[in-house]
Amino acid sequence: MKSKSLQLFVLPVLAIAAFVAPMLLGGGGVVYSAAVLIAIFAVMAYGLDIVVSDLGEVSLAHTVFFAAGSYATALLSTRAGVSSAWLTLAASIAVALACAGLIGLVTLRLREFVFSLVTYAVAVVAMTLAANWAFLGGSDGLRGIPMLDLSLPGLTLTARNDRELWPFAFATLVIVIYLVARFRRSALGAAAIMTHLNPRLATMSGIDPARVRLQVFLFSAPISAVAGWLYAYQRAYVSADVLENYFLILMLTAVVLVGRRQLLGPVAATALVLVQEKFFSFGGNVDKIVLGAVLIAILAFFPEGLAGLARPLARLRHSRREPIQALTHTLEN
Amino acid sequence: MSAPVLELKGLQVSYAGNRALDLAGLAVAPGEVVGVVGANGAGKSTLVNAVAGWSRGAPRVAGPITLDGERVDAWPTHQRVRAGLVLVPEGRVAFGRMTVEDNLSAAFAAPPAPGRRVYSRDEIYELFPRLEERRLHLGAQLSGGERQMLGIGRALMMGPRVLLLDEPSIGLAPKMVSQVLETLRALARTGLAILLVEQNVRAAIEVVDRLLLLERGRKVLEGPAREVGDDPRIAEAYLGAAA
Amino acid sequence: MTFLQQIINGIVLGHAYALVAIGWTLLLGVARLVNFGHGQMYMLGAFVSWWAVTKAGVPYGLALPMAMVIGGLFGLVMQRIMLKATFEQNLVSIMIMTLGFGYVLNGGAAMVFGSTGQILETALSTREITLGELWLTWQDAAIVVAAIAVFVSLKWILDASRVGRLVRMVAEDPKLAMLAGINVRWVYYGVFAFEGAAVAFAGGMVAPRTPILTSMGFDEVIMTFVVVVLGGIGSVKGSYVAGVALGLFTALFGALVSPAYTTAAAFLVLIAVLVLRPGGMSAGSAAGVH
Repeated sequence: MKSKSLQLFVLPVLAIAAFVAPMLLGGGGVVYSAAVLIAIFAVMAYGLDIVVSDLGEVSLAHTVFFAAGSYATALLSTRAGVSSAWLTLAASIAVALACAGLIGLVTLRLREFVFSLVTYAVAVVAMTLAANWAFLGGSDGLRGIPMLDLSLPGLTLTARNDRELWPFAFATLVIVIYLVARFRRSALGAAAIMTHLNPRLATMSGIDPARVRLQVFLFSAPISAVAGWLYAYQRAYVSADVLENYFLILMLTAVVLVGRRQLLGPVAATALVLVQEKFFSFGGNVDKIVLGAVLIAILAFFPEGLAGLARPLARLRHSRREPIQALTHTLEN
Repeated sequence: MSAPVLELKGLQVSYAGNRALDLAGLAVAPGEVVGVVGANGAGKSTLVNAVAGWSRGAPRVAGPITLDGERVDAWPTHQRVRAGLVLVPEGRVAFGRMTVEDNLSAAFAAPPAPGRRVYSRDEIYELFPRLEERRLHLGAQLSGGERQMLGIGRALMMGPRVLLLDEPSIGLAPKMVSQVLETLRALARTGLAILLVEQNVRAAIEVVDRLLLLERGRKVLEGPAREVGDDPRIAEAYLGAAA
Repeated sequence: MTFLQQIINGIVLGHAYALVAIGWTLLLGVARLVNFGHGQMYMLGAFVSWWAVTKAGVPYGLALPMAMVIGGLFGLVMQRIMLKATFEQNLVSIMIMTLGFGYVLNGGAAMVFGSTGQILETALSTREITLGELWLTWQDAAIVVAAIAVFVSLKWILDASRVGRLVRMVAEDPKLAMLAGINVRWVYYGVFAFEGAAVAFAGGMVAPRTPILTSMGFDEVIMTFVVVVLGGIGSVKGSYVAGVALGLFTALFGALVSPAYTTAAAFLVLIAVLVLRPGGMSAGSAAGVH
């Protein structure tokens, strides 16, 4: 864990470097497109990250939240003529919260793997609905989504292409990373870790594990939905393929590749995967095999992630820190 | 004294970086009953679990363990069991959802060897008539004492050379305790080596040949039961358990 | 279609669901493993059978065992790679890894078998049995017979054989089973291989009913999950009854309401049961197999 002063210095520098990177790499459309997608999918992955890394559960419904954001945005902007992206953003978050709330309440007192299976089923059913229901555009999807318009009275904020979209995507990513960091320092974040590592101890400390699970789940859903919101504007059309397994596998890989609960892990991993896909691809099916194999290999042979390779395995040393900090220290090592 | 059938030299066990057991050495001869006593947390269960290569936790174990002259410390649990190093653990000793009859079935055919007496199910029923009465009952329907008998019975069906028992008297009525310990004494007379962990020191002293007192993972006293039984440190451990 | 015809359809479909679910529920009951790659393994079984019959000219009767061998081997490979996580009961890692395996199968199958729909025709699927106005294909009848045979044999093996006893011991308490001299690792391998072989068998048997795609398999996982929730984890008899019941429900729903949303309907049944009667799905319930 970096010291506070190092963090205050390094993170802003990294942020600025990341922001100007596309420009420094040539500024072409392909580069900006890749950068925007990396930002969007990283945001999507951060939603899953807090559920998997902090809460220790596998949610397979975050593709549904992602799609909820995309579809809410597409429906409002193409069918209801809503031009302000602020409104579509609010709708995306609301729909995601509603879905997460329903799923969460149903699985509240059930075993963790039942929760995972229910989220899996929700994703499959969502795919059926998206592909068949005329209201959602059926197999053709929804086209003609207008450009992103976050204008406020007196201030024009629009994005007509990937280059103009980049500052907005980047800003969203930074905000989400900040929110995740705050979450991890908050009481809810600490409660999540405790529930994850030692439910009995958590209950004895007055924490209701079921409630914590629900709250973390509810907090995570809008994050992925916001990614979906941006994605709708980026692609200008939305169809059932936003529910494809690809996004799920990508999210999961992003969460585990670098290491659990690493703040910049998901964005670094997303960048790695997308760069391979865009610039070093061997064809769609081979890429699938590679991505799936990477996910398996990490969990089977490098459970600490790539970062774990560089760190000596000094787990569970006798720690004089307080219990919660000792637990988080353990997780980070 | 005949050659020891079980021998330990420098057995060390740690749980999550904390040393739970540091035993310089221990040897058990055929037909000998060795008792291990000590307060809670002294390392008694840790000892027998480590010898069997088993645990409900995840300990780090180091140190040579020899069975009939053969090194077994690198062997997985089931292999040690098949070689005759059998543990009747503390807590759950029987499969609650299976019948007594099913519980008393061997997973393998123990090879007949000198010093290994493989008991048949009928012989177990002779030893513990109560189990025969309740043949078709599920393990969960048995009383604590009957489950102990079941655990010991299944252990005997595997033809043990060394029988390790972890607190067989826990939760048993005094009459049941003496019955179990008497049975163990009788088994020892047939040549079986027994390592017995017991909280109930007074009952154990009646039955064991040699006594070992553990304190915080180390051996602090060892000797013939008659001599060592009166040592005040044993009484302290006894009082500690009763208090 | 008449009501009775739908009943027949439902019975056939139900036996298919039961057959698909049996390996999964055994794996869950014995090893407490949730295999999210189950649907893709089903797809693999279907496609290996199809390829063997249509591309390699192998008789159907040989194609099925071929698919089973490949399925079983895949199960063994999966368990080998996930062994550490299995022993540590690291369910999060296991679930994600099985998802990864499913994804790899998806990509691999698309690469080898292509992405277009295929039809597997067998001597059984093209011939019909007619009972007055009702009909079913010989393949359908074979599915029912095969499912019953598998269930009856499995129940007998579990209850009355030595192997079954070992499996039940490992299912209830793997640590205690070690102390009984059981090589728990081999039992886990065996159960995973059974899952692979059983689901491949199901894939090969059920494939002739509809066109198959390398992208299929997701609906099968949901149906399997519903069967297990309704029938009880690790219950052989329960899986059979729940499977047939689900088949009848799906057939009737598909005929009376909408064929496209049968999975969604099954899902709602699942949710209803989970909310109203969680039973063995509640936190703290024990596993086991019977």
